Amino acid sequence: MEPHERDLYEAARREGQVTWYSAQYSADTSEAIGRAFTERYPGVRCSVVRSTSQVAFQRLSQDQRAGVAQCDVFASSNGGHYIQLKRQNRLTQFRPVNADGMLPMLRTADPDNYFQYSSLGIYLLGHNTNMVSDAEAPKSWADVLDPKWKDKLAVGHPGFSGAIGIWALQMRSMFGPDFLRRFERNKPQVGRSSIDPVTMMTAGERAVGVAVPSASTLFAASRGNPLKLIYPTEGVVAVPAPSAIMSNAPNPNAAKLFMEFNTGPALSRITRTMFSESLRPDVPPPEGCRPLDQVTLLSPSLEDADRGVPELREQWRDIFGV
Amino acid sequence: MSASTDTATLAGSQRPSRLRLLEPITILWVALIAALLVLVALPLLKMFVISFEEQDTGVFTIQNYLTAYGRQRYLDAVRNSLLLGTLSAAISVVLAVPMAWAVSRTDMPGKGFTWAIVLAAFIMPPYLGAIGWVLLAGPNSGWINVVWRSLTGATDPLVNVYTFTGMAFVIALHSFPLVFIFVKSALDLISSEMEDAANILGGGTWVTMRKVTLPLVWPSILGGFILIFLETIALFGTPAIIGIPARINVVTTQLWQFFEDPVRVEVASAFAMPLLLVTIGLIAVQKLLLARKGFVSQTGKGGERRQVKLGPWRWVLFGWCVLVALLSVVKPLMVLLQASFAKAWGRGFSFDNLTLRNYQFLLFEHDMAPQAVWNTVWFSATSATIAVVLALLVAYIVVRRLIRFADALGFLAMAPFVIPGIVMAIGFYAAYAGPPLSLYGSALLIILAFASRFLPIAYASSQAAIRAVHPEMEEAARILGSGRLHAIRKVTAPLLKTSLLGGWLVVFIVASRELSAAIFLVGPRTRTMSVLLYDLTEQGNFEVVSAFGGILLVITMAIVGIGMKLVGRDFMLRRE
Amino acid sequence: MPRLTLTGLTKAYGKLTVVDKVNLTLEEGEFVSLLGPSGCGKTTTLRMIAGFVDPTGGSISVDGKVLSAPGAVVPPERRGMSMIFQSYAIWPNMTVEQNVAFGLNLRKLPAAEVKQRVGEILEVVKLNTLAHRYPAELSGGQQQRVALARAIVVKPSVLLLDEPLSNLDANLREEMRFEIRRLHDEFRITTVYVTHDQGEAMATSDRIAVMNAGRIEQVDAPHLLYTRPRTRFVAGFVGRTNLLDAAVEGGQLVLGGISLGPAASAGVAEGTAGNVLISLRPQAMTVLTAPPPAGDGGLVLPAAVKERTYLGEAWDYVVEPQGTNLRLRAAAPPLEAYDVGTPVWLRVDPRQVAVVA
Repeated sequence: MEPHERDLYEAARREGQVTWYSAQYSADTSEAIGRAFTERYPGVRCSVVRSTSQVAFQRLSQDQRAGVAQCDVFASSNGGHYIQLKRQNRLTQFRPVNADGMLPMLRTADPDNYFQYSSLGIYLLGHNTNMVSDAEAPKSWADVLDPKWKDKLAVGHPGFSGAIGIWALQMRSMFGPDFLRRFERNKPQVGRSSIDPVTMMTAGERAVGVAVPSASTLFAASRGNPLKLIYPTEGVVAVPAPSAIMSNAPNPNAAKLFMEFNTGPALSRITRTMFSESLRPDVPPPEGCRPLDQVTLLSPSLEDADRGVPELREQWRDIFGV
Repeated sequence: MSASTDTATLAGSQRPSRLRLLEPITILWVALIAALLVLVALPLLKMFVISFEEQDTGVFTIQNYLTAYGRQRYLDAVRNSLLLGTLSAAISVVLAVPMAWAVSRTDMPGKGFTWAIVLAAFIMPPYLGAIGWVLLAGPNSGWINVVWRSLTGATDPLVNVYTFTGMAFVIALHSFPLVFIFVKSALDLISSEMEDAANILGGGTWVTMRKVTLPLVWPSILGGFILIFLETIALFGTPAIIGIPARINVVTTQLWQFFEDPVRVEVASAFAMPLLLVTIGLIAVQKLLLARKGFVSQTGKGGERRQVKLGPWRWVLFGWCVLVALLSVVKPLMVLLQASFAKAWGRGFSFDNLTLRNYQFLLFEHDMAPQAVWNTVWFSATSATIAVVLALLVAYIVVRRLIRFADALGFLAMAPFVIPGIVMAIGFYAAYAGPPLSLYGSALLIILAFASRFLPIAYASSQAAIRAVHPEMEEAARILGSGRLHAIRKVTAPLLKTSLLGGWLVVFIVASRELSAAIFLVGPRTRTMSVLLYDLTEQGNFEVVSAFGGILLVITMAIVGIGMKLVGRDFMLRRE
Repeated sequence: MPRLTLTGLTKAYGKLTVVDKVNLTLEEGEFVSLLGPSGCGKTTTLRMIAGFVDPTGGSISVDGKVLSAPGAVVPPERRGMSMIFQSYAIWPNMTVEQNVAFGLNLRKLPAAEVKQRVGEILEVVKLNTLAHRYPAELSGGQQQRVALARAIVVKPSVLLLDEPLSNLDANLREEMRFEIRRLHDEFRITTVYVTHDQGEAMATSDRIAVMNAGRIEQVDAPHLLYTRPRTRFVAGFVGRTNLLDAAVEGGQLVLGGISLGPAASAGVAEGTAGNVLISLRPQAMTVLTAPPPAGDGGLVLPAAVKERTYLGEAWDYVVEPQGTNLRLRAAAPPLEAYDVGTPVWLRVDPRQVAVVA
């Protein structure tokens, strides 16, 4: 244990627990992270509250409205949330020491260090190989607008999933303001989480998953399901997502310790076994993924997400009805 | 024994001239009224008030109503909810009335089986049924469609759960027991002479059933219909699980959206208020429709009852019951069970697909799952206890007419019965979640919300139980020297024990699966099984969800089993 | 000092007065019935005595201590009374023994004494072999005895009975009347007994208070109530009677122009004159087929049988004395059967004529 870690651990142990609103990793991965943290720091229990990003943010808003502090570390895949939280002075300034050892693109989320990257989600296309052959499968984001995919697509919901909000924002900037309307014409099946389409593909309910996370798709494929990733020609939507300590965190020291854990090598070593991207050069990327330097990474800025996602969500709801 | 009296040894009677101005028990009555206000009146009042308040400033405004009803999508949600409620209730009536008639009045075989099915459909949480039906009737992957395609070679699905009727049907499959219970208990009260009178005038079995028997239980059918309508428009889980992929927005999912950042409780309240008007309207319609005719179900006077002989038709009715059993219980349970033990449910049943991992994950690796199980058990137990104690005391006051305005207390205790659960939950959020109490996320808030929501169930059973205990039972104790509370404890309570336990168990069971009331109130460590299960469905991870549903059902079944042992076989399905 | 005193006791529900200024005094050991038709206020009066109903006016005192006055009432449990209810109110969750011991235990008596007294009283009501039974395993009569034992064993200052026999069948009812009187004779507990059955009241009571419309009409020993009813209501309610308009002329009762003679006029108060109402019991008349020998002091009227009804124990004749349009009911033994239209002689016992108003 590093000295800075030991000091935090001592303080954290007096608090005894940390509550983590987790929306960046799947339920299984989140639970694995929570367990690993609790094992690494005996006496500091990690309470995992896994949900989609918008639901997590909704819980946070309800906490605030009620004047109740329940969340220590907030982890959403919609980076826009942090711009808003910072603006509202609801975050604690803290830079984990481990942050310096992360991939260069993830080292600094906020110049003022109110939030720090803690995950990198890769969102792309996937297909059920029993239903659609590799040759037939869509090759690009533009392909999914082709009417031949009508009733064959599945997608998450930006009212729930933060990543889907980011993805749709990116698509709209690439394909123009009527992207959602055109996409809707293909009648995609709408789930809530971005992981839901993975299940739909596994079940054979839909052939192609749109904006599915690479991690969950590879994880499902590793369990013997006939799934395959498609790297769209335009590039993948890369969602680097921050975590932050709430200014009213009931367990501030445990929260800091958790932030160190989030940015340190231990986390990446666990998450890579569940096919999430490694955040650090000292931990190799998961198997079955294309190396990040070989794919185009598409991503709107956090500021764009802050401005764009709420409005996009409304547009989506007007178009999709839900 | 001598003629002298023992009065001198009676506590306090040394000074029999000491006059009483206030019974000490009066304090208890005041506390009861306060409790009812806290549980029922205040949340609704607060909700009404803030629906006219501007957020943060509290200035009077009607803007919330303009916002809540100012968008086509929001209006669509209201229309969808009303249609969904009507359709589900109608389907429930169609499913349940023949079953109730067959069990109550005919010689149909397999009545025990039908009872068991109704009970099973009743204790199955609606969202579990919804998940089961997603697995059964997904247009491409659902079992029914897979089998249909392989049998007929068709390309189109036979059934599609992701449709309006699909959703209404799934809801009805778990609501119909309410109609069944209502109608059957009404039918049980009709004397066979009613039917004999029609027979002697030349009416056959079917004519008699249609023209005489069923019209006599019309109030019960209507009552069941209205109750299911109200339950349906308050349902959150099924519309979230089926309605989002089906792209049907309803009031509850819309209310959820108003809780998105920034939390607009004011708008949500404004949006929910008209639901109360709908409720009041329905009750008014019910009163109007039933105003003039006499109905046996209300007088409860019996006579001799005989079974109608159906001949071969009894097998047709039995077939109907079996069909309902398959659709509501057997099939959904089978696929849930299969999924809960599957690595990937879509691969079907095979030995290499079997695993205990889903259960292992929940019981040993999941941080919240064991906590949620415990939360569910103790929240349900505590709220059932609160509801039963409160209901017992209120029912006691009302039945014994102990104070003036006792009926108002009874009305308050029954009010949550007709208030959609989600409206109640928003009222609780509005009244108690924020300052000054800031109870959001606390166990107390959830327990109180559950207690309030299910108070009517406890009240109805307490009232019936107390009515059955002659007031002279207590008076006999009092004249011999016991105070009112002592008499209740020593005489009334022991006599009510069985029915109170029955009421307690029913509240426990419905509370243990309640989602709508909990979803707005839970905090990270106070999530119940129903909320965690809902959280788990976000990812569509049906194997784990099914396993968790399995755990929930095992717990419920254990409680039902205990109930049957202690209270009697039909304790869940008695209408009190 | 009287044991129980009701003074101007009144109960009103809004404008409806159900008990109206009732005055009643019971000496220690006395057995008094409240008799009246349903709705006369007798049960309300009893429940006010017990403390279950708060009076609107007047007071109740026991041994000179006030128990009830408007707005200030001693609760039932501190009155030291006991009561037997119409429904028996035997607690089905307790055995016979536990039922009977309940009051004694509340008085914090030593266990041994409780046991002894319960044993004694069960012996008295002949239930000692059934001490460990539950009420559901007892017959109606046995349950009634449990109720009696439970009420008596505490030696109450006043024992209240609220139509205790109305749920029993006819034979048992008869038997229990005498049982209740026997227990009273044994223990001399001051008792208020509410009933609408005059036979019960007559068989058990020292005195009967006849109630009507919330008021006590008359309190008297049973036989006086029958022979000397003081109001039209009492005369009509207690037994059957002929109520007749009569006149007092010169201190003599005159009925339909016929003087009833000095014997009938004994009850006429000094100075009365003008129209009065008299009660003439059917039993006060004899129907004869031949005129009796004169000089036996009775009043004999030639008459004709107008209607007849056979009641089993007696004939009930309606006869019309000649020269009048009076229709009198007269009783006759079963063997004395006369057809309608038969000319008869009616002998009236003038001592049984009562002036009621």
